[in-house]
Amino acid sequence: MTEKKKGKLTKVLDYLKHEDPFSKGVAFCPGCGLELLLRFIPQVLGNDIVITGTPSCSAPVLLGQNNQSWHTLSYFGTLMTGAAANATGLARYYRKAGIKNTVVCFNGDGTAADIGFGNLSGAAERNEPFIYICYDNEGYMNTGIQKSGTTPYGATTTTTPLGSASKGKNLRRMNLGLKMAMHKIPYAATATLSDLEDLAKKLLKAKEAKERGFAFLHIFAPCTTGWGYAPENTIEVCRRAVKTNYFPLWEAVNGKIRMTKTVKKPQPVSTYTELIKKFAHLNEADLQILQDDIDYEYCMLGGLSVLEGECQLPVSSED
Amino acid sequence: MKPKTQDKTKPGSQIEVITGNAAAAIGAKLARPDVVAAYPITPQTEIIEQISKFHADGEMDCELITVEGENSAMNAVTAACLAGGRVFTASSSWGLVFMYDAILATAGARAPVVMVNVNRETPGIIAVSCGQQDMISTRDAGWIFLIAEDCQEILDLVLQAYRLAEDYDIQVPVMVHYDGFYLSYLSEGVNVPFQEDADRFLSVLNDQPQRTKLVPGGKLGCGTHGILGGYLELRYKHVSAMERSKAKFEEIDKEFQEIFGRSYGGQIEEYRMDDADVVLVGSGSMCGTIKAVIDEKRDAGVKVGLLKIRMYRPFPGEVMVAALKGKKAIGVVDRSLCFGFKGGPIYTELKAFETQLGGSKMMSFIDGIANTDITKANVEQMIDLTCDLAEGKDVREVTWVSYPEAQEPDSEKPDSEKRGGL
Amino acid sequence: MSEVRFHGRGGQGVVTTSKILANAFARTGQFGASFPMLGFERRGAPVTAFGRFSDKPVREKTQIYNPDIIVVLDPSQRSSDAVFQGLLPGGMMLLNDSDNTMNVSHENLKRLGIIDANKIALEEIGLSIPNTVIVGAFARMSGLLEIEPCCDALQDYFSGKKLSANIVCAKRGFEEVELFDL
Repeated sequence: MTEKKKGKLTKVLDYLKHEDPFSKGVAFCPGCGLELLLRFIPQVLGNDIVITGTPSCSAPVLLGQNNQSWHTLSYFGTLMTGAAANATGLARYYRKAGIKNTVVCFNGDGTAADIGFGNLSGAAERNEPFIYICYDNEGYMNTGIQKSGTTPYGATTTTTPLGSASKGKNLRRMNLGLKMAMHKIPYAATATLSDLEDLAKKLLKAKEAKERGFAFLHIFAPCTTGWGYAPENTIEVCRRAVKTNYFPLWEAVNGKIRMTKTVKKPQPVSTYTELIKKFAHLNEADLQILQDDIDYEYCMLGGLSVLEGECQLPVSSED
Repeated sequence: MKPKTQDKTKPGSQIEVITGNAAAAIGAKLARPDVVAAYPITPQTEIIEQISKFHADGEMDCELITVEGENSAMNAVTAACLAGGRVFTASSSWGLVFMYDAILATAGARAPVVMVNVNRETPGIIAVSCGQQDMISTRDAGWIFLIAEDCQEILDLVLQAYRLAEDYDIQVPVMVHYDGFYLSYLSEGVNVPFQEDADRFLSVLNDQPQRTKLVPGGKLGCGTHGILGGYLELRYKHVSAMERSKAKFEEIDKEFQEIFGRSYGGQIEEYRMDDADVVLVGSGSMCGTIKAVIDEKRDAGVKVGLLKIRMYRPFPGEVMVAALKGKKAIGVVDRSLCFGFKGGPIYTELKAFETQLGGSKMMSFIDGIANTDITKANVEQMIDLTCDLAEGKDVREVTWVSYPEAQEPDSEKPDSEKRGGL
Repeated sequence: MSEVRFHGRGGQGVVTTSKILANAFARTGQFGASFPMLGFERRGAPVTAFGRFSDKPVREKTQIYNPDIIVVLDPSQRSSDAVFQGLLPGGMMLLNDSDNTMNVSHENLKRLGIIDANKIALEEIGLSIPNTVIVGAFARMSGLLEIEPCCDALQDYFSGKKLSANIVCAKRGFEEVELFDL
């Protein structure tokens, strides 16, 4: 924790203005991307957030057991099917009761992109006043690594295993972040753990935006256990995902997109996949399919990026 | 809805001719909920249309969440409730089962949610029609279930439901059930309480200890994992609270009478039971028809009565045994099925008390499902058969009143062996 | 207790007719209960509604199989067997039809009222929705209600110009219905 300095915040530590509310040792795998993210969020947003979670990798730590907890945050363990609706209920009641609040609906990609997408989309359409964060580890890791809608082409999981008739997932991943931006919500953004200042800024923008409605953050959070890479490589995996445009960093205000980090010379996707065992079986032709998908999505982003300069949040018509 | 004819005989209310759905919406409005979430479904839709109009006209100061599905409605009101709010939602049938996981979570979290369920047949066979199968499909969720007979009772039960759910010693969600079509669209005169009387009735809740609430920065969680003893503790407390709710409901009924002049008898209503030899057990809208037929039968010298179930969960076993003990024969009318058992669900449950009933004979009637009308003739037939049972005649244990084919001698053979086959 | 069965089609205000009558009865200190039986609500689909009107509270929650009175808003159903089914001896029928010839017959029918409710509605409210004309005509034919409580009841369903136009509809229905005693 650092005292707030006067002037512009430049270093990531300057964004960590609050205590880490989690115990020092918690039940995550060593090198877990989710853990880094989970500790980071309240240090930036404050310990007075109400965080909600579902059955997932976050559950053992976030939801506690009986009357014991790994942290001191207010939290709500809810259902994967209705996580965004649950957060809606909290935020709406606090608004009705005049209670200042920052509700953070914190879910994996299984909840956000798959089983809970309907109510996520509904909450976005209604412009509900809270922050939804999806930590994307590209599959169902808590149940033992099964494929989800964000699992990329070619990745092996226990439900897309290698076999004589299978080379891993044979479908391309959905682009959850863009889907949410297309709801034209006050704020949507992607972020990851290799670019913490970018992440911190986006958290604060989301907090500001939720005063006007729905804020969505799609955060790339690799899984050392499920993907098969060395625990010390979590940040490097994130860094390469950005450098290959596998996971570009952008933000969207009311649906208008701009890049927050432009990679001047994107590297081939193989520099990313080579770190990760779930892609180890892919040959050049397979990698090309993955590369084509990355290029296609990046091209789409480019087309949508019409805003220039620092994005200003628009003034709500209600103000 | 404007004030209507002043009913001089019943102070504190005004008569309005409204549907059962409107009665539910007005009941909710009188309770001043903080958050309402709902999704339309026949035959419930009119409730949320009415509430939306109240909200649009500034008559209802609540957060209205027009969700994208029933599952979200239940998740939203549960969270709002645990954050400290008073909440309301309404659904029916397919909607009710679409929120099933959330309904279980609501009960597990002991969130004092109040909802209305307009009874309709459930998925399996598409049937936009009345039936209590949706209630039966959710009966083990850990909610308190109340059942209304007419439009007045719908409104009154919604108000009473808040007293029960939010009582500090109970804190269990309450679902008010009433028959779709037969009650949801029934227009009749209803004494609509004045707001100040509704406020007075509910004000008791403000004077009790505050329930645990999830507030920002409050260092409190809900929805933790329950492990072993922790899980057992929560479940035992839940079961105990449901048991306590029986007596609490009776108390609330008495207090309701003091303010509004109407009493229903608590967990059950007994109609001409005192000297009855045979009794029909029923619930919901059928009870009005049964009462009318009982009066005619009484005129003809048949000693028959009605036991109306008002509280279905927890099952009012004790008061039912007290009321039914020593009766010669009991016919239980179910507007639903209990798959895996031949008899209806309520019949099957009442069977568990057979020993305590001290020799009363019992039989099961299935009627009124999929909008089949429980006619006066059907009720008469049920009473006659129950009298036959009392006299020791050979009658079937289970009678599908509106489906005589079920009574044919070969009805229990495989379909392929039946006359005509399938 | 009078049991009344209403026959019409979606869009004609069949259900509203039965509601307004229940409302009017309540205003006289009596009791009314009405409900429709329909599946999917669609314009043009046949609609049946039931009304019970009594000086005592109405407890029955069943459909009506032996009506004292039948009200037919849809002229095409004037000779339908389903309409007459179960009509009790001494029964009455109110018919919305431009054809006022008394060519309807049934052994139990004692009184017939015919009114061109669509025409009146078209003249007064500009729409061929016959329901409020029928309310007035029902009061006159049945003798169960005065016209005043019917007009008062309309306040719960209409306001402003629509209310005054519909009150005229009800009054014209009351005055212009042709009655035939058989």
